[in-house]
Amino acid sequence: MTDIAQWSQEAEALAEAVIAKYPQKRSALMPLLYIAVREDGYLTESGMRRVAALVDLEPAQVSSVATFYSMYKRQPVGKYLVSVCTSISCWLLGGDEVLEAVESAAGVPAGATDESGVVSPEHVECIGACGGAPAVQVNYELIEGLTPQKATELVEWLNAAQPETLNGDEMQALFGGQRSFDWAIHETDSATGPYPAFQPHGTVAPQGRS
Amino acid sequence: MSDAPESVKITINGVEIEAPAGEMLIKVAEEHGTYIPRFCWHPRMKPVGLCRMCLVEVETPRGVVLVPSCVQPVADGMIVETASPVALKAQEGVLEFLLVNHPLDCPVCDRGGECPLQDQVMSYGPGESRFVEEKRHYEKPVPISDLVLLDRERCILCARCVRFSDEISGDPLIEFQGRGNTTEIFTFPNEPFASYFSGNTVQICPVGALTAAPYRFRARPWDLQTIESTSPFHTEGSRITVHASQNQVMRFLGVDNGPTNQGWLSDKERFGFEFIGSPGRLRTPMIRENGELREASWGEALIFVAERLKEIIERSGPDAVGAIGGAQGTNEDAYALSKFMRAAVGTNNLDAQLDDGLNPDFLVGVGSRARIDDLETANTILVWSADLKEENPILYLRVRRAAQELGATLIVVHPARTGLDDVAAHKFGYRPGDGSDLLADLAAGKDGFAAARDALQEGPLVVIVGRTGLAESGGLAEAVASFAGDLPGVSIMPIVRRANTFGALDMGVAPSLLPGRIPARGAEAPLVELWGAIPVSRGLDTVGMLAGLRSGELKALIMVGADPVRDVASGSRAAEAIGAAEFTVAFDLFLTDSAAMADVVLPAEGFAEKEGTVTNLEGRVQKVNRIVPGPGQARPDWSILDGIAEAMGSPIGLQSAETIAKEIATVATAYEGITWDLLEWEAREGAVVPHGDAQQPLEYVAVNAEQPQQTKGLGLHLARTLYDDGSAMRHSLSLAKLAPGMSAGLSPDHAADLGVEAGNQVTVSIGNVSFTCPVRIDPSLSNRTVAIPFNQPGIETLDAAAPISVVAGGPS
Repeated sequence: MTDIAQWSQEAEALAEAVIAKYPQKRSALMPLLYIAVREDGYLTESGMRRVAALVDLEPAQVSSVATFYSMYKRQPVGKYLVSVCTSISCWLLGGDEVLEAVESAAGVPAGATDESGVVSPEHVECIGACGGAPAVQVNYELIEGLTPQKATELVEWLNAAQPETLNGDEMQALFGGQRSFDWAIHETDSATGPYPAFQPHGTVAPQGRS
Repeated sequence: MSDAPESVKITINGVEIEAPAGEMLIKVAEEHGTYIPRFCWHPRMKPVGLCRMCLVEVETPRGVVLVPSCVQPVADGMIVETASPVALKAQEGVLEFLLVNHPLDCPVCDRGGECPLQDQVMSYGPGESRFVEEKRHYEKPVPISDLVLLDRERCILCARCVRFSDEISGDPLIEFQGRGNTTEIFTFPNEPFASYFSGNTVQICPVGALTAAPYRFRARPWDLQTIESTSPFHTEGSRITVHASQNQVMRFLGVDNGPTNQGWLSDKERFGFEFIGSPGRLRTPMIRENGELREASWGEALIFVAERLKEIIERSGPDAVGAIGGAQGTNEDAYALSKFMRAAVGTNNLDAQLDDGLNPDFLVGVGSRARIDDLETANTILVWSADLKEENPILYLRVRRAAQELGATLIVVHPARTGLDDVAAHKFGYRPGDGSDLLADLAAGKDGFAAARDALQEGPLVVIVGRTGLAESGGLAEAVASFAGDLPGVSIMPIVRRANTFGALDMGVAPSLLPGRIPARGAEAPLVELWGAIPVSRGLDTVGMLAGLRSGELKALIMVGADPVRDVASGSRAAEAIGAAEFTVAFDLFLTDSAAMADVVLPAEGFAEKEGTVTNLEGRVQKVNRIVPGPGQARPDWSILDGIAEAMGSPIGLQSAETIAKEIATVATAYEGITWDLLEWEAREGAVVPHGDAQQPLEYVAVNAEQPQQTKGLGLHLARTLYDDGSAMRHSLSLAKLAPGMSAGLSPDHAADLGVEAGNQVTVSIGNVSFTCPVRIDPSLSNRTVAIPFNQPGIETLDAAAPISVVAGGPS
């Protein structure tokens, strides 16, 4: 028998609600992949099989989508995914140095996870924060205007405090510098793991931390 | 149906042509003699514009631009240059890019010599590559199923295989994986490309990325001789080319015959060629002496058979002899059998169907006949037959296309899950034996059936009827056809499984039929002139003959390419019958389980070894051709029959398959005018012998639709699978291992009652045969049905009529 992931009741209910939003089941594929990531910590083969069964696709079709997008992690990642932008604006303003700082603070190169499974540095292409370069995301929560020094402090804080949820505004206040512009909206959504905080996917902390 | 599209005028390379609006440029150009190179474009699949090979120059209001012609609909006034310097440079550029990663291992590639990439690089490509870096490397090749191997280095990502498995066959088990430079085609980890149609992807792959295990490294295209023929598997009559090298058949490829297979083949008919060259083929006649079969000469064997038959006829009368088989060969062979039994022996005891078909009068005579192409224009399709994917896979593809691409409403009625359920608008299941209740409910539009009944009123309607399983009576199919006969715009397609059954029936290989669909007692000139007195006694069918052998009423049995022990639903009783016979003779390709019990075994020529014609389920007559000699002393069936008749002193005067074909055209009115020349030259798509028209003397009258009810116990759904333990499968090494093996299908509730889950062992008892097998859960089954696949390797023959029981667990 092929191995199909068993999901929590909460995840099953969420999946059902997501599928109900679309006229065709298969349209729910991408949100469901995030649910699969949340359930297992990363996208497993059995998780993809579960998604395939839910949306009436073959597993090969599910993995075709899953392997196309780099945000669906198919290997385990640490508790905190630290994504450093090295695209042109960030690169011009020291993105490479920020990445180096994150790597040396974590003690592992980009793409790997530290021994204790806490921090996974990676470098990413443009994350839409050129005005606040260099920019970093931790579990897809944005921090702008970092320096190598602040980046080192960020990783040290993550290791020491190990917060259950992460909030972009909060981290910006602690470690950020120049922002693109004042967003004026206080961000209440907090990330709960190494996947984006999306309300409909159930990946947001019940209450924002602040 | 919309009206014919308006026609537009376009100019290709300076020549003005007319074309239907909306047609893709690449197709219009090709139809008018301008070939535009392509990889991803395929005439039977949706265009995607992936490979960019078909770039041509088109004048637009924005100036002259390069467009991919496979996704460019033609429009009025369009001016196209397919070979301008700019277009050629673009095509050259695309090829140079494709060769960046494509390895130049053509000398060891199966595709070399018939490779679209190789050919198009020769015609349109650059002489040299500017790419000096290292090419991409992958493990090669990777077997992605038992039949298909994948070499990702050679893949040019045209997605033909991906699109075929999604659009056409409906089992998308291979897909693009990854992204960018590391994009590849692959299956899901540990999930093989287990499709019944996987071989088609090998045929349409424009490079050597997908290769077929049975053909791999066995021949080079330039060493192959090729001849067009008609597939020896399935009643749809797929058109194929047979390729042979040094008197060995090497492969079959599909030919795009619009009315039938449209280029596709099932893997069974594509890779089943292996049985032809099997070392297990019979090579010499054999006579049983002191309980052992010993080799004999043809002269000795024919005289021996003739004398035994003559002696039995003299002692017990001609009706003590019977013949089973004839549906595996050609029409000419079937005609010879019919003539031999009627004119030389003098009996109507002959049957081409092996207790798994339908009433021959119904198959030949039911009115309002459908052609396969009627599916293209149907609004509604009712399929109440065997699982088409397992038994009539080409018809499955056509029905699937009608439901999926052409928007027909599909209604499927079958006791278990079928391959078409996914595209069906309505699916009804029932316990085998309760079919007539369901038919009554459907006809009355009872709760849950109203929508389906309304759809049935929306013609054009095609109704495909057949036996859903071997344990079910064939009368139900007739009842369904009789109900459907009154619906508006209906056409009916009765189907059976064994390849040339319709041809054999048209040749009179049935107790109630004479050649040309004439009732057995209605013989007239010129048949009487050629055959002499035609027997009028009531003939026995297969079941009757087997029962007659057991009771001693029938003394001798002739088996022509038939293996009753494996083929009839109650094989154990067939074995008993053959054992009880006074004299049995088998003409076969292999020493089948039945032939092994015969007194005389005669080696017959098979597919690709003889010429003739076959008739498909819609009455389409097509030619089969010879490309290799038969093994050893094998002879065609007609010649064996002629030899026995000669030795009996009642010659039937057959000289060659071609003269038999002429004789058929003379005596069978429906086959008038059908000559081999016609089929070879003018009627390349086959000539359809129309059913139910003025030329057809037989009138089929629907029988009382009342069906015998099964006992109230468990119902047995005994259904064939595409791959089983039949003799052609057993001797096709690549396919022999694909038979799914025994399993017991249970409904979820039934399984819960027994306390078993999918994969657990249960013990099934049918009559006095018991076996242990894993459980399969099938939510389509009724709670009182057990579904068992028929004729699986390693399983004793069953008595399908016996009561069935299932208990959890293995043998104690």
